[in-house]
Amino acid sequence: MTKIARAVERKDAEIAGLLHPLVKEWFFSKFKEFSITQRYGVSAIWERKNILISAPTGGTKTLTAFLSIINYLVMLAEKGELENKVYAVYTSPLKALSNDIHKNLEEPLNEITALAEKKGIKLQKIRVGLRTGDTTPAERVKMAKNPPHILITTPESLAIVLTTKNFIESFKAVEFCIVDEIHALSNKRGVYLSISLERLNEVSKIWPVKIGLSATIAPLEEVAKFLVGIEEFRDVEIAEVPLSKKIDLAVLTPVKNIIDDENLTSEMYVLLDKLIQEHKTTLVFTNTRAGTERVVTHLKDKFPAIYGDDNIAAHHSSLSKTIRFDIEERLREGKIKVVVCSTSLELGIDIGYIDLVLMLGSPKASSRALQRIGRAGHKLHETAKGRFIVADRDDLVECAVIQKEVIERKIDKITFPKNCLDVLAQQIYGMAIYKQWNINEIFALIKKSYCYSTLSKNDFYDIISYLAGEYALEKSNVYGKIWYDEETKMIGKKGKLARVIYMTNIGTIPEEAYITVKLAPAGEKIGAIDEGFLERMKRGDVFVLGGSKYEYGYVKGMNLYVKTAIHRNPTIPSWFSEMLPLSFDSANEINKFRGMINKRMFEKKSKAGIIEFIKNYLYVEDSSAEAIYNYFYEQFKFSEIPTPEKIIIEKFKGEKNYLLVSSMYGRRVNDAISRALGYLMAQAGGRDIEIGINDNGFYFAGEKLQIEKALKFLTDENLEEVLTEAIERTDILARRFRHCAARSLMILRNYKGHDKSVGKQQMKSHFLLNAVRKISKNFPILKEARREVLEDLMDIENAKRVIKRINDKMIKIEIIEVKLPSPFTLNLLIQGHTDLIRIEDKQAFLKRMHELHIKLIEGRKSV
Amino acid sequence: MNPKYIFISKALYIPEIKTLAIGDLHLGYEFLINNADIQIPYSEFENMKDELKKIIEDIKKRKRDIKTVVFLGDIKHFFAYKKIERDLFVELIDEIGKTADNPELIVIKGNHEKRMDFAYQKLLDFYVKGSFAFIHGDVMHKEILSPEIEIVVMGHLHPAIALKDSQKIKSEKYKCFLAGKYLGKEFIILPSFGEINTGTSLNEHLSDDRCFIPPAQLLNFEVHAIGEDNQYYNFGKLGVLEKLHDNIKK
Repeated sequence: MTKIARAVERKDAEIAGLLHPLVKEWFFSKFKEFSITQRYGVSAIWERKNILISAPTGGTKTLTAFLSIINYLVMLAEKGELENKVYAVYTSPLKALSNDIHKNLEEPLNEITALAEKKGIKLQKIRVGLRTGDTTPAERVKMAKNPPHILITTPESLAIVLTTKNFIESFKAVEFCIVDEIHALSNKRGVYLSISLERLNEVSKIWPVKIGLSATIAPLEEVAKFLVGIEEFRDVEIAEVPLSKKIDLAVLTPVKNIIDDENLTSEMYVLLDKLIQEHKTTLVFTNTRAGTERVVTHLKDKFPAIYGDDNIAAHHSSLSKTIRFDIEERLREGKIKVVVCSTSLELGIDIGYIDLVLMLGSPKASSRALQRIGRAGHKLHETAKGRFIVADRDDLVECAVIQKEVIERKIDKITFPKNCLDVLAQQIYGMAIYKQWNINEIFALIKKSYCYSTLSKNDFYDIISYLAGEYALEKSNVYGKIWYDEETKMIGKKGKLARVIYMTNIGTIPEEAYITVKLAPAGEKIGAIDEGFLERMKRGDVFVLGGSKYEYGYVKGMNLYVKTAIHRNPTIPSWFSEMLPLSFDSANEINKFRGMINKRMFEKKSKAGIIEFIKNYLYVEDSSAEAIYNYFYEQFKFSEIPTPEKIIIEKFKGEKNYLLVSSMYGRRVNDAISRALGYLMAQAGGRDIEIGINDNGFYFAGEKLQIEKALKFLTDENLEEVLTEAIERTDILARRFRHCAARSLMILRNYKGHDKSVGKQQMKSHFLLNAVRKISKNFPILKEARREVLEDLMDIENAKRVIKRINDKMIKIEIIEVKLPSPFTLNLLIQGHTDLIRIEDKQAFLKRMHELHIKLIEGRKSV
Repeated sequence: MNPKYIFISKALYIPEIKTLAIGDLHLGYEFLINNADIQIPYSEFENMKDELKKIIEDIKKRKRDIKTVVFLGDIKHFFAYKKIERDLFVELIDEIGKTADNPELIVIKGNHEKRMDFAYQKLLDFYVKGSFAFIHGDVMHKEILSPEIEIVVMGHLHPAIALKDSQKIKSEKYKCFLAGKYLGKEFIILPSFGEINTGTSLNEHLSDDRCFIPPAQLLNFEVHAIGEDNQYYNFGKLGVLEKLHDNIKK
């Protein structure tokens, strides 16, 4: 199987010795010496070794990857041996980045060409071509005729060119393949790319050497396997370039007393302004789109003389491309003072000189924090300055712990989704369009992808059946997309429109529609929410938008009509679809810290002593340490501090009967555990149960809550079974199913050239789901939707680990009755419910309510 | 319940005049959802057809005849003409003809019907038979006030109720019949007939611009919620249900 080795740092002289005189002269006219990254990477690539280069942002990764390739092409160009084919493919998940690289690659090539001309050396022209979703048809035709030597592309466009007959000829001998920004590929786009890379390997008669570029990431071994795939003789080297940039970090609280000060919000803007004014260029991360808009608006409103359109800008993914490019350009040119973004500027693109990075609210993972901080400081050697600005006490603890992880270089682990059947369906369709295949050939190719190395033959054949139209869908105008001949074992495409359908519907990112929110009845526009959020709400729900509370009224077309709801608590968390989940690793670190403080308070250590400990352990200032101490002490005095060894469950009778569970495992794990427990309780009690979930815990509300029984029943072995049952009737499954159906081309976004807006696609997910269930409960795309919910949205693997620890009594559960929610669980309650676990059937509920109702009426009469 | 009429599923049968009344169909509704690009089957129409068949057979089992079938308007969903809606309705009429031995067919004009005919059927603003009048229910027709009329049958409102438990956690919607007095006549309001259209929960949302009967009057109508067990659950007056519902809230 795939072998992994560590790359070695080479000497400058050795690398320089490899370079063509022109390239060498050009390089040293620009740089004094090779960077560390180049010392690790350039020679290895020259020697045609597969390599994963992990280096902090601001490194010289890109040039490292291209230098040997440029060198090789210049050598060929001088000899006149440059062929009419693609030598290197570069792919990046960021379109913007692709444009950027284009510039940075063409520049060195132009300068080398100019140098050659000056010296009278004749060079063939080395062509660089950009192929993304934005490339015009005319450019594509030109490109197919005259292929670029270096092709810059995105994962989606790579799949398209691999399906284009005219283009594929020039892929017969690709020698290099660069995969940039791998850390942004631990999702279905990555899964998608992993098969595209295997398709490239199959088309090319020689092995395209894989060069992976990544920010600081873990675990490197798995990422390296993702890069090269799983097969005998595929070896890969890992170059982990140490961060030489110094980091200057601090956690800041806008006010001294974070719990009582009502001016927290306005003070935060004062602090923000102060920091921005003290620096030249500031980049602010807010985590959410809504937060981004809010911060920009408030700064402009609060300091109209200082902030205006000329020096402050919002940047997030739902802004148009032109606006984003414009902001990035102004940032690079240093023409802008402050840019506020959601998470959109975490990745890639060179954004010029930034001397301060502010994080409003926890970045939720150490890898993200590192990535963000890395945006500060222009060159590798400068100090990167970052500040966390916290919003509440949970946030304070979280930011402080993440800061510790960053300082101590503890990076949270990423995982790639495995065996995604929807992506598989789309890719097999693409493969069948390009040529006829033997079914075993396809299966063997797929299995080489890291993301499908454990794919079962059954699942594979189910997808073939679906694509071949064997699920009796044809009666309902769902035609097979491929044919499969069982005699010859051959597979090919069906229908003349196959290519068009494939090309216009390709991709893995579900399209989200934005619903305009308007005030009823006048129709005054308030803002927009995404469709997923709308799907979670029913009439009467209260949600927050732009800092104000609104009650859901009714929907008309793509508009949601609301009324203001000043005096009601939100019933639904507004961030749900956008919020980043806290990483399991960071959550464990917070839990560990809780345990340490609990121990010290239990041993009656002095306040000063504990504060000193917090300061040293979390690298925070006095005021933050004291705020954390106070928060923990309040909890300690109130009841108990939950620790890695103990989960506390509070029974609380408020507006409803609540169970508040302090389980510090991050939202993905809490989601899995809470839904399983909630489902078991709902089943036992025959009543529906409301659940609320966040990173620090979860709550239940309902008429009958027998948590002890549920805890006794649940094991790491039956968790998956229980959870599969529990999600079966949820909105979230229906929604995910729709996305999976789109990816596997059951729902076509674009059919016969008519673009279907998401608004038109916005049919009731439940009807879709029910229709498919009638066909088969194990319809492969439905199976994929379940997998996505359990493994990608939730984190069932780590949830199993937690449950096992509970079963083994390594985690104790303590149930206490409380008159008020404890300080640690208060946020949980305030944030509102996440979902409802439905168990009681409609008919039984009607009967029960009718009996109750009659009693009420009779009761009134007798009074 | 008034012995003059019988609830059967979501339809109403009147023995005295051997008439079956059927509420809003909104035939095209499923195609609003089922666009050409959504490659998944819907069975709304097939379900409607089966349901109607069952109703007719049920009436036959009770040894009753059906001489007349009245559709209470909003047969179609799209305001514009759609061939598919016409085809489906023709198919539905054929089915009724076969199972119910060619009864007389009356189609009332709903607010979704913009022309005076549909699927070769003339559309009527109202229909009177014996002491019964049939209207769609959006607007008033003064003819129904004539003294010989005792009972007015209508659709249009898609009546349903929402029930919530004591914790306000669960909320479910049930289609219902509404029956009550207005202008000295008894009114019966039929629920919409399809599955996809789940009805409007009138105990939560009662607007005054949807129907000529004022909300204050509607609150005095009795609610007969339709169970999946073919039972009807009388929840008393809509107004009381609304109030109790509020009490539970507090």
